[in-house]
Amino acid sequence: MSNDVVTIGPLIAAVLVAAAVLLSDLIVPGRRAVATWVALVGLTIVAILTLSVGSGGERVAYGGAYKVDALTTFLDVLFVAIIALTIAFGPDYLEPRDLPVAEFATVLIFAMSGAMLISASTDLLLLFLALELMVLPGYLLAGYHKTDGYSTEGAIKYFLLGSFSSAIFLFGLAFVWGLTGSTRVDEVASELAKIASGSVAFSPGLAMGLAFMTTGVAFKIAAVPFHYWTPDAYQGSPTPVTGYLSVGPKVGAFALILRLFVEALPALKADWLPVIVVLAAITMTLGNLVALTQTNVKRMLAYSSIAHTGYMLVGLAAWAAGRIEGTQALLFYGAAYAFMNLGAFAVVAALQRRAGVTSSLDTFAGLIRREPWLAVLMTLFLLSLTGIPPTAGFFAKAYIILAAVEAGGPVGILAVITMLNAAAAAFYYLRVVVYMWMRDPVTEGSAMSHGPLLWAGLAVTGVLTVILGFFPGLLDAVGRAAQALG
Amino acid sequence: MNVSSIPLLSIVIFLPLLGAIVVAVLPRDYARTAALGASLLAWIASLMLVVGFSSRDVPNSFQFVETLPWIPQFGIQYKLGVDGLSLILVVLTTTLSWISILASFGPIKERIKEYMISFLVLEVGMVGVFLALDTFLFYVFWEIVLVPMYLIIGIWGGANRIYATIKFVLYTLVGSLLMLVAILATGYAYQAAHGNNWAGAFDFEALRAFAASGGGFDPTLQLFAFGAFFLAFAIKVPMFPFHTWLPDAHVEAPTAGSVILAGVLLKLGGYGLIRFSLPLFPDAAHTFAPLIIVLSLIAIIYGAIVALVQPDLKKLVAYSSVSHMGFVTLGIFVFQPQALQGAILQMVNHGLITGALFLLVGVIYERTHDRTIAKMGGLAGTTPVYAAVFGFFVFASAGLPLLSGFVGEFLVLVGTFTVSPIAAAIATFAMILAAAYLLWMFQRVVFGDLSDFLRGLGHHLTDARPVEILTLAPLGALVVVFGVLPVLVLKLIAPTVGGVLNDVSNGTAMSLAFWR
Repeated sequence: MSNDVVTIGPLIAAVLVAAAVLLSDLIVPGRRAVATWVALVGLTIVAILTLSVGSGGERVAYGGAYKVDALTTFLDVLFVAIIALTIAFGPDYLEPRDLPVAEFATVLIFAMSGAMLISASTDLLLLFLALELMVLPGYLLAGYHKTDGYSTEGAIKYFLLGSFSSAIFLFGLAFVWGLTGSTRVDEVASELAKIASGSVAFSPGLAMGLAFMTTGVAFKIAAVPFHYWTPDAYQGSPTPVTGYLSVGPKVGAFALILRLFVEALPALKADWLPVIVVLAAITMTLGNLVALTQTNVKRMLAYSSIAHTGYMLVGLAAWAAGRIEGTQALLFYGAAYAFMNLGAFAVVAALQRRAGVTSSLDTFAGLIRREPWLAVLMTLFLLSLTGIPPTAGFFAKAYIILAAVEAGGPVGILAVITMLNAAAAAFYYLRVVVYMWMRDPVTEGSAMSHGPLLWAGLAVTGVLTVILGFFPGLLDAVGRAAQALG
Repeated sequence: MNVSSIPLLSIVIFLPLLGAIVVAVLPRDYARTAALGASLLAWIASLMLVVGFSSRDVPNSFQFVETLPWIPQFGIQYKLGVDGLSLILVVLTTTLSWISILASFGPIKERIKEYMISFLVLEVGMVGVFLALDTFLFYVFWEIVLVPMYLIIGIWGGANRIYATIKFVLYTLVGSLLMLVAILATGYAYQAAHGNNWAGAFDFEALRAFAASGGGFDPTLQLFAFGAFFLAFAIKVPMFPFHTWLPDAHVEAPTAGSVILAGVLLKLGGYGLIRFSLPLFPDAAHTFAPLIIVLSLIAIIYGAIVALVQPDLKKLVAYSSVSHMGFVTLGIFVFQPQALQGAILQMVNHGLITGALFLLVGVIYERTHDRTIAKMGGLAGTTPVYAAVFGFFVFASAGLPLLSGFVGEFLVLVGTFTVSPIAAAIATFAMILAAAYLLWMFQRVVFGDLSDFLRGLGHHLTDARPVEILTLAPLGALVVVFGVLPVLVLKLIAPTVGGVLNDVSNGTAMSLAFWR
């Protein structure tokens, strides 16, 4: 096989798995478990392929447009894990509402192939295509509950603002392409280095290009003030989809940021660093302040995911201020956040197994008496999201702060802002704990039975949330990924 | 068997965790016994530490040191060690832990499993804080303490428990999260000063050596880092004006929760100031000292005056804690040997005496379901044993000579006098106030005719039971021993006191040179 085909092998496999899931549903219709298992087995194969392709060091394909390095491998494995967990959490919520399971898995895997393409793209045009491939299935998923008004409303908002921001992003790309004469990441970087060193004049067009691209990306990661689509899209979507939307596209968009800002635009970092610092500060602060006032857990988690975007941006800012630990911490945070947030949403989804159960705080009242395991797991995820040791969330925050402190200056001040925000976040996360442990149940409901896949997924996220910080391999992996990025 | 070859410190820390797992697995009927067993084993292990500890007079040396690499990329270690100061606080913790668990057998009837697990995890965190010699590890244990205490107050507390527990957690978190920034910033400063090598950046001994050598940490960094550490510790102590969470938490917490809160959690703050703030940031400590002394004096007087007018027994003891802990911070920040010795002794004594007072309030509350002083009266006649024990600890708290409460406050006052007679005079005035609020309370509760309220309880008003005496007796014995022979503790902590003051005085010399 040619080198090109081998290099994109995992991507081909991902698309084939998606097709296989659809086929399996066609062959044995109505057997939802079959589709789910085909998806999970297929994803395992994709993960193994990714690791074996990635183990051979850096590989370049298609004349330099596609590159597999340590960052690609790390992100791809993370994407596969996110999708596999979402597929495991899905059926318990979808089946009682008569929503198809096989299509759910298929659409997710297509989204994953988009995210995998982002992590390997070294061409701006390819990056844009990959981004669209990742977010388009997201619009579908948001409106997955098509008879539900909120789901449709959220999907339309998500779609309109999403395509709007994609257009803005593309517009910015066009400026950069026009002024540097290339879409290849390395060529763009070297052209921009000439501008930064003063040998070529800095044109206003470039500033506009930078501004448009930053805006487009800020939409995708839901940074304030480009976050308005998030709460409605998140609250309206079926809960397992919300879990995915708050994690998958976010990590994917951060992958885009790493390939774009860190690899293509490092020469201009003096120009975009102040923007990122301000974005980070207002994103985390506003996200937390609004989350404080929410009484619906799903919506609260939606706003809190905005705050987490802010924390991750601190890592990017630290990188721009000259610390490689910044991207390392950003990647670690992404992984820790993915598992704890997916876990939290999975608990919400599990509680909504009975159709009609809302995600309001009252649903959680006295949960420790009704479903002790779910309550204990939810407590673990919330403590991790708060950043209490020894959970993964704590280590993630510590590494972000460490990078910010190293960078010093305005980024050092961001470290303090981050920590004050974490204290504010403790209030609304722990409020859920109060409801679960310290209040009496509002409604008398018997414990619901949950599928084995849900428990398996919760076990995986729970164990990872506990041990990620103690597991040295992850820090090594993000270290290598950050090194590959430079 | 060679004692130094077994990781005794890790055993003391993690025995309760093992106990928590056992409690989780066993049926709920065995929760009480298993929890008590685990805490007793941890207590015995901590006593073995005392036996194996050699009280040689070497400043700044740790014994039973255990070192394992943990996060080598950043030089973070699992490093434990014990010196005289941490030794007595660890033994105080393990002692109060089993006493608290035993004292909970009767009062706690609901969700006993979760309760015992919370208590044992709490013990893990508390002992870990005292034994950690790595600043990052210290922070991890520091935060682990938070969650079980949050649950203990929030689930098994009084009517207003949710408000109290959220207030407790938010106050503590605001301080401690900024401390994390300071811990990481000092680690990075150390790394930058050692050729970008992370080795030792979070190792307390290395950091202290760095602080004592050359210029130590950069003066600006010192100010910020000291401020962040101080905020965390001052909230925990709690110092005026950060004390407002304490009365709420104490009043709402179940009896054993109050005992641990007053007995150990407040000591975490004092310990942190002595262990980290003074040696690592000596210049900043000198800069801040006048302010902290003034705040301590305010706490001493204010706490006593507010205690005087409290209608609720538990609230009275809570405010008396603010006053008593003011002596601790005062003793620490006059940088004087007697005062620092007194401060450490006061921490131990306050743990014993206030712990006992909360137990005693719990005993009466269990019978009356009320803590209002005005409703009490005449207990001496109906419950003589209880009244006698209560009297003993009230006098100990008021600072009666030959009981341990006296020695600590006396040493702090003597030491403070050599530095600032005015401060000493103000603090002495609080001892008179203490006698006033304690004895007045005692008189109203114990003497006189049996109140109508208590008479109405009839035969429910029983005298102290043997198990209650069993929880109080060890505390009483220690109060007498430390009162008569304070030298037992003073000898243990002498090297620590010498070392810390040496580190701080280095700071003075340097800061004077800096200002010239």
